[in-house]
Amino acid sequence: MGVFDWIRLIAGSAFLVCGLVIFFTEIFGVFHFRYALNRMHAAAMGDTLGIASCLIGLIIFSGINFTSLKLLLIIAFLWFASPVSSHVLSRLEVATNENLESYCRVYTDLKSLEAELISDAKAKQPDRDTRTKGGAL
Amino acid sequence: MIYHYVYITVLLILAVMLFACLIRAIKGPRIADRLMAVNMMGTMVMVMISVLALMLNEGYLVDVGLVYAMISFLAVVILSKVYIGIYEEGRQAPQDQDSEDEGGMSDGSF
Repeated sequence: MGVFDWIRLIAGSAFLVCGLVIFFTEIFGVFHFRYALNRMHAAAMGDTLGIASCLIGLIIFSGINFTSLKLLLIIAFLWFASPVSSHVLSRLEVATNENLESYCRVYTDLKSLEAELISDAKAKQPDRDTRTKGGAL
Repeated sequence: MIYHYVYITVLLILAVMLFACLIRAIKGPRIADRLMAVNMMGTMVMVMISVLALMLNEGYLVDVGLVYAMISFLAVVILSKVYIGIYEEGRQAPQDQDSEDEGGMSDGSF
């Protein structure tokens, strides 16, 4: 094996290990969080970043040929499909949960959310001013 | 030869993680948890299929992985819509009236 083969092996293995670590983080988060909408946050990570890292490592192993083009096609498809499936799953959870208010705050219309956000921003305005002044000094 | 060991190691680690996903799918208290675990298993099986395609040096297995990705996405979306429909039917069956104003979550537009 020449130097270029060693570089290819090490780079591809690094990408594969990155993908496996992200998959492990995904599973750890899914077992760590307590509610389905929190678990969704961890579970959507492996669908895009984890499989992208793993397949980029396999593309580096494979070289430039038609197989690596198809692997890129899998990555591109999952980048479009995974957010949609996560959105549909969270919509299922929100639509079928009877007591959603005990897990998270629910806003029935956007007006109350906007009013609360504006009042929060106004309440945070003075200490933000002092912080920027302190940063400027 | 060293590539073979790398592929075998990745496949073994992914198999262990697949069992962890299966435990989550069995334990998950809500339907969304189970569907999410099935989605994660689908992602890991895609990586396993791609690793097998390079390990066996058969390029067409990547096509199998691509079709697997599409079918997994379709299964998650359709099962979610079916469960929302079942829930709405079960909720609207006892009281037929006064349920029109609160069904804004599943009017078919997701």
